[in-house]
Amino acid sequence: MSVPATDRPTSTQHTEHSVESLSSWLADRIALYLQRSPSEIAPSVPLAEYGLDSVAALSLCGDIEEDFDLVLEPTVAWDYPTIDALAGHLVEELRDVQSEAR
Amino acid sequence: MAEFGSFAELVLTRSDERGDADAFVFLSDGGRGAEPERLPYRELDRSAKDLASWLQEHGLSGRQVLLLYPSGLDFIKAFIGCLYAGAVAVPAPLPSEQGQHFRRVSSIVRDARVGAVLTLGQHSADVQAWLAAEGFSDVVTLATDRGPVGAAGAWRDPGLSRDDLAFLQYTSGSTNSPKGVMVSHGNLLANEAAIARSAQNTSDMVIGGWLPFYHDMGLIGHVLQPLWLGTVGVLMSPVSFLRRPARWLEMISDYGVHGTGGPNFAYDLCVRRVTDAQLEGIDLSTLRTLCNGAEPVRAETIRAFSERFAPHGFRPDAFFPCYGMAETTLLVTGTRKERGALLREVDASGLERGSIEGPYLGAPTRTLVSSGVANEEDFDVRVVDPNSLVERPGGQVGEIWVRGSSVASGYWERPEVNAEVFGARITGQEELGTWLRTGDLGVLEGAELFVTGRLKEMVLINGRNIYPYDVESAVRGLDPAIGAGAVFGVDSGGQEHLVVVHEVRAAALSSDLKTLATAAQRLIVREFAVPAGNVLLVRPGTIRRTTSGKIQRTLMRKLFLSGALTALHSVVEPSVTALIEGGEVTAAVEAAPSLVAVG
Repeated sequence: MSVPATDRPTSTQHTEHSVESLSSWLADRIALYLQRSPSEIAPSVPLAEYGLDSVAALSLCGDIEEDFDLVLEPTVAWDYPTIDALAGHLVEELRDVQSEAR
Repeated sequence: MAEFGSFAELVLTRSDERGDADAFVFLSDGGRGAEPERLPYRELDRSAKDLASWLQEHGLSGRQVLLLYPSGLDFIKAFIGCLYAGAVAVPAPLPSEQGQHFRRVSSIVRDARVGAVLTLGQHSADVQAWLAAEGFSDVVTLATDRGPVGAAGAWRDPGLSRDDLAFLQYTSGSTNSPKGVMVSHGNLLANEAAIARSAQNTSDMVIGGWLPFYHDMGLIGHVLQPLWLGTVGVLMSPVSFLRRPARWLEMISDYGVHGTGGPNFAYDLCVRRVTDAQLEGIDLSTLRTLCNGAEPVRAETIRAFSERFAPHGFRPDAFFPCYGMAETTLLVTGTRKERGALLREVDASGLERGSIEGPYLGAPTRTLVSSGVANEEDFDVRVVDPNSLVERPGGQVGEIWVRGSSVASGYWERPEVNAEVFGARITGQEELGTWLRTGDLGVLEGAELFVTGRLKEMVLINGRNIYPYDVESAVRGLDPAIGAGAVFGVDSGGQEHLVVVHEVRAAALSSDLKTLATAAQRLIVREFAVPAGNVLLVRPGTIRRTTSGKIQRTLMRKLFLSGALTALHSVVEPSVTALIEGGEVTAAVEAAPSLVAVG
């Protein structure tokens, strides 16, 4: 059995990140953990309402680390409880990392 | 294998034999590039003697000592230090900010009458503050990672016997009333031997994994089994695995791991989250035993994992479904090594009536996964009618009863419960002596044990055994917006009623709540042929689980009857409504707006 849904684009580290691109990345990942389609995950609805549990929250941190090289606390999914909030937070964190790198 | 008088004696012997060879390798959260921490046998022995001398000097031999550590080598030194001192180790999860953990650990300190707490320097201030706040003024705290605390030369061999307690395993009982299984040195030696026999482990194999050390599967299977064998254990933290499941596969590949394991969900996680890119260069061909236990083993999971990872050298016959519990130290049965997991398709209605039969052409079936067989040197396993206490014949479902030298003597200071649970006798075969009642339901077919559910959670309606897990799975299949569920029975004066509680993400639902409740009722009537008069749809987060993720159906039943459950939508029979304190199910007020908002 192949699971193409888990293959990710490899270019994430070199593109400019926007709230929109990150929202769609987050919806894809979260949909995968919750075994549903990304279109069902409304960006303004708290993720807990979709049944996001602590395993999924840790999964999200791991995938963010993997794709953006950004280490976050496992509590991030509770501190920024919606896709909108998480995407906003990620954009800021990535901007900080980039300005430090310069 | 020589006979050892205690597990402490075994570790002393292994340390002499192995010297500077690694006892453990711990992989940090930093991933593959980071340098792992190593603990040679000689250093483990020296650290354990140092700590043991401190414990002996402080009068803690024979007393209970709580171990509060994150996953890591310091836990292992502290655990062996307790054994060397003749103290009784009490492993527990390090309390986090979540209030529940603190409450549970406080209950353990009280129940076990703990004399000291061992932890890391970075946590000792928090631990002292918590102990003071709870009024445990006579409990000493010691940080064990800040250099020597005693004098290894001052250590005295406590002269333990196999009957002496090695540790208390707190895995069962509720948060407020935890029960500590009393595991003796003899139990520990017997079960490590049973594991090695069942999995055919030898001293040239590498054993390891990511399971928590305060849990029986991690402690007995991944920490103490390598010591018993005299080999190396490769370990990492549960958080490392959950963040990035591919790390587990990298560990297997990098260190040539032969034996590892986890609950069923861990294998689902690997199938879902490990990417093709992460699998590049991964070689799983060294794996001989992949334990799957602690929660129901699913045939689908075994198939999906085997297919996904076969191209990377994974051999499906390495899958090792097994059965056991803290009360038996750990393992009771395991899959025969000469072949893979045994799947058995059975007639669904036969199973509801309590027998394994069929499958019959055209009739609904269920697939059971065998938990394997017990070795007769280690265990005697019987299936017994839980009411008449008469042994049931092969093919008939009953309660699983176990005896053998791995079975603990009981729960710490619970003589009444122990007489019932650890001192049961089979009607008509009293001369065989006493048995452990596991509370699990199962069936023996030949020597193969199939676990079918939990005794207390089973619902008996119209002479049918309804397994909550089956009903919950069926209801979840109705709509992806349906989450975890708890199914249980309530008794209204001699008549049992099924109550179905399910979490639902109302905003994501394709129909409305009322339609969904009706669909669930129709499904249950059709599939299980029992009335489903009571359906509660609740918010995500309402269904209670244990720390290991098991649905707490008995607790959910209690909450339901006390009127403590709030439903987004509910249908309840009048005769059941009469049983609820307050006379009705509380309705959630914001249900309608959230439904409208997302449409």
